[in-house]
Amino acid sequence: MSRPTVGIFGLTGCAGDQLVILNCEDQLLDLAGALDIRDFLMASSENDTAGSLDLALVDGAVLSRRDEERLKQIRARSKMLVALGTCAVWGGVAAMDRGLDRAKLLEDVYGEVGGSYDAQPARALHEVVKVELAISGCPVEKQQFLAAVACLLNGDPPLYPDYPLCAECRMRENNCLLIERGELCCGPLTIAGCGARCPEFGVACVGCRGPAGDANVSSAVAMFADRGFPKERIAARLRTFAPAAVEVHS
Amino acid sequence: MSRTIQIEHLARVEGHGGITVELDGDTVREVRFDIFEGARLLEALLRGRSCEEVAPIVSRICAICSSAHTLTSLKATEDAFGVRVSPQTLLLRDLLYRGESIESHALHLFCLAVPDYLNLPSVTALAAQNPEIVNLGLRLKKLGNLIQETIGGRAIHPVNAVLGGFGRLPGVDQLIALREGLLEGVSDCEKALDLFSSLPPARFCYADTVFAALRPRGGYGYYDGDEVVLLKNGTREVFAASGYRALTNEKAVPHSHAKHSSRAGTPFMVGALPRLTVNFDILDGRAASIVNRLGLWLPSCNPMDNNKAQAAELIADVERALAIIERLLRNGFGDEPRAPVQPKAGTGTAVTEAPRGLLFHSYTYDEEGRIVAADVITPTALNAASIEHHIRCAVEQSAEKDPATLTRKLEMIVRAYDPCISCSVHLLRTRNAG
Repeated sequence: MSRPTVGIFGLTGCAGDQLVILNCEDQLLDLAGALDIRDFLMASSENDTAGSLDLALVDGAVLSRRDEERLKQIRARSKMLVALGTCAVWGGVAAMDRGLDRAKLLEDVYGEVGGSYDAQPARALHEVVKVELAISGCPVEKQQFLAAVACLLNGDPPLYPDYPLCAECRMRENNCLLIERGELCCGPLTIAGCGARCPEFGVACVGCRGPAGDANVSSAVAMFADRGFPKERIAARLRTFAPAAVEVHS
Repeated sequence: MSRTIQIEHLARVEGHGGITVELDGDTVREVRFDIFEGARLLEALLRGRSCEEVAPIVSRICAICSSAHTLTSLKATEDAFGVRVSPQTLLLRDLLYRGESIESHALHLFCLAVPDYLNLPSVTALAAQNPEIVNLGLRLKKLGNLIQETIGGRAIHPVNAVLGGFGRLPGVDQLIALREGLLEGVSDCEKALDLFSSLPPARFCYADTVFAALRPRGGYGYYDGDEVVLLKNGTREVFAASGYRALTNEKAVPHSHAKHSSRAGTPFMVGALPRLTVNFDILDGRAASIVNRLGLWLPSCNPMDNNKAQAAELIADVERALAIIERLLRNGFGDEPRAPVQPKAGTGTAVTEAPRGLLFHSYTYDEEGRIVAADVITPTALNAASIEHHIRCAVEQSAEKDPATLTRKLEMIVRAYDPCISCSVHLLRTRNAG
C-alpha cells in the first residue's frame, strides 16, 4: 500500500492501544508521513468521518448499541480492519463475567438510573464484524504494532508467535515462577510477544495477552494441579482478560 | 426562542463524550456533559478477587492514568492490611507517579491543548507548521514514559509495582541512565517554559471556583498523604481520606455513566490548578518562580489556567524527579525485601492526585484477603459537575454570536480539564450487592 488512508478508533476500553500509538514518540512523525491518517478523534478535531479507508485500527470492546453501530460503520468504510489490543481481540477485562445479569450489575453500580443506560455484555470485535488481523496485548506491544504497520505497507501479512510466554521467559534465563516459586503464573497458556515482561520483573504472568494457540494445555494443567492450583482457579485467572481463553484451552 | 448548542463528539480528549447546552433566549436552561462511554462494570470482576489481583484489574480502568490507579489501589489495600512500605519504596512510587504525570501532561499540553491556542486542528497540523514544538513535547513525553518503564516495567499498565514494594528494583545503572535523560529534560523544560509563557491568553469565562486537592506529605507531590483540602472563598475545609464520602457526595444522573459530585450543592474542581492553589504555601522557590514566569496568578477564576498549571507541574516535576534519583543514589540505593503482606478483614482507603486530580480507591476485604466491596472515584467524575458549571458561565458571559466560535471555545474549556472519560465511567462500587 502506498500511503494508505487510515482511521484510528476506540470503542469502550481504556484507550491504551491508541495511547501505544501516541507513545511511539520516535516514530510518530514518520507514521504520520507514511500513513494518511484521516480519522483519529483522540488526536484531531478535523476528521473525515465517512470516507473510505484502506485500514481501520480499532481498540476497545463492544459494550453498547452505540459501540456496535460505530463498529459496523467503521467496517463498512474500511478495506481492512485490525483489532488492536486484548479488549478488541478477546473482549478484555469487561468481558470477564459476561454471564452475570447486566441489569442487576447496572443497578448495583448506578442505582435506579442504571436501568436507562445503553449497556450490553462485552464482545470482541470478531463477534460483531469481520476482522482481518488481530494484535493482542494489554496494551499491545509497541514493536508488534510498528512491525504490523511496516508489513502492511509492504503488502506482507505480519507474523506473530503462537507459542506460550514460557519460550520467551526461558530464553531470558528467568527463574520459573511456577516451578521454582510455586506462584500461579499464566505463562504456559498465554501467547508470547511481550518478552515475558512480568516474569522478567519477578511478577507472575496474569495472562493479559490472551491464550496461546500452540500451548500444551494438558501438561500445563497437570503442572498447576501438582502445585495445588485447581482447574477452576486457573480458568478464573485466564478469564480475567480473555473469557474465551477457557474455551480455547478446554 | 429555545435553541441548543451541541458538541456531539469531543475531540482530542480521552474517551467518548459530548456537550449539550439548552437555552431559552439568552438564558441557559441546562448544561450537560454527556458521556457515552460504555459501562464496563468492573466491580463485577473485583468481587471475590484475591488482593494481589486487584491492582492489575483496576489499572485497566484507564491507560493514561494506569500508574495512578495501580499505586492508589496498592495504597488502599496496604491501608486495609496495615502494611507499611519502606522509605525507598515510597520514593520509587513517588518517582513512578511523577513519570506518569510528566507523560500525561506533555501529551495533553503539546498534542491536545497547544493546537487550540494556535488555531490548529491537531498535533499533525502543528507538526507541519512548527515541528520544533512537537518534537519538544514528544521528548518530554518520552522522558515520562522512560521513568514509567524503568520503575513500573511498562509505560501503560505498570507490572512492577506490587503489594509491599516492587517485583524487581531497577539497577543503579538504570537510575544513572534515567538521570542522564532527566538532565537533558531540564534544558527542554526551559524551552517549554518559554513556549507556555508566550501562548496567547485564553479567557472565556470567569467563575467563582471551589478547589479540592490532596494535602501532600513531604512537599509538593501526588502520592503520599491522607488529607484532602477543599478551598472555598479562602476558607479551608479538611477531610481525612477515610471520610471521603462526605466530600464526594455522588449522585447518578441519566445523561452520563459518570456520577456527579458536589459539596453542599456547589461543584468543585480537581486537577493541576486546584493542586497548585491549595498547596501554593508548600511550593519550593523554584516551582513558585515557574508559576510566576507562566503568568499564573492564584487563585484563578479561569479554568483555562489549568493548562498553565499543568505546564508548571510538568516543568517542576522533571527537576523533582532528578532530585529523587539523586537522593536514591546518595542514600545507597539497594535491594530490599518487599514489606510483608498479611491479609485481614477490614476496609482500606487511599487518596492520591492522578494527573487529572483527586483519585480515591476504597476496598473492603474478608479475612482471606478477597474483595467484599470496592469503590473507585475518579477525577473526571469529580469534575463533571464543575465542567458543566464552567460551560454554563461561559455561555452566559459570552457575547460571541458565531456558533462555531462559541462551540470551539466551549470545547477548549472542557479540554483544559484534560478529561479522561474512560476513567470517569468506570467507577466501581459494590456495597454488599450480592
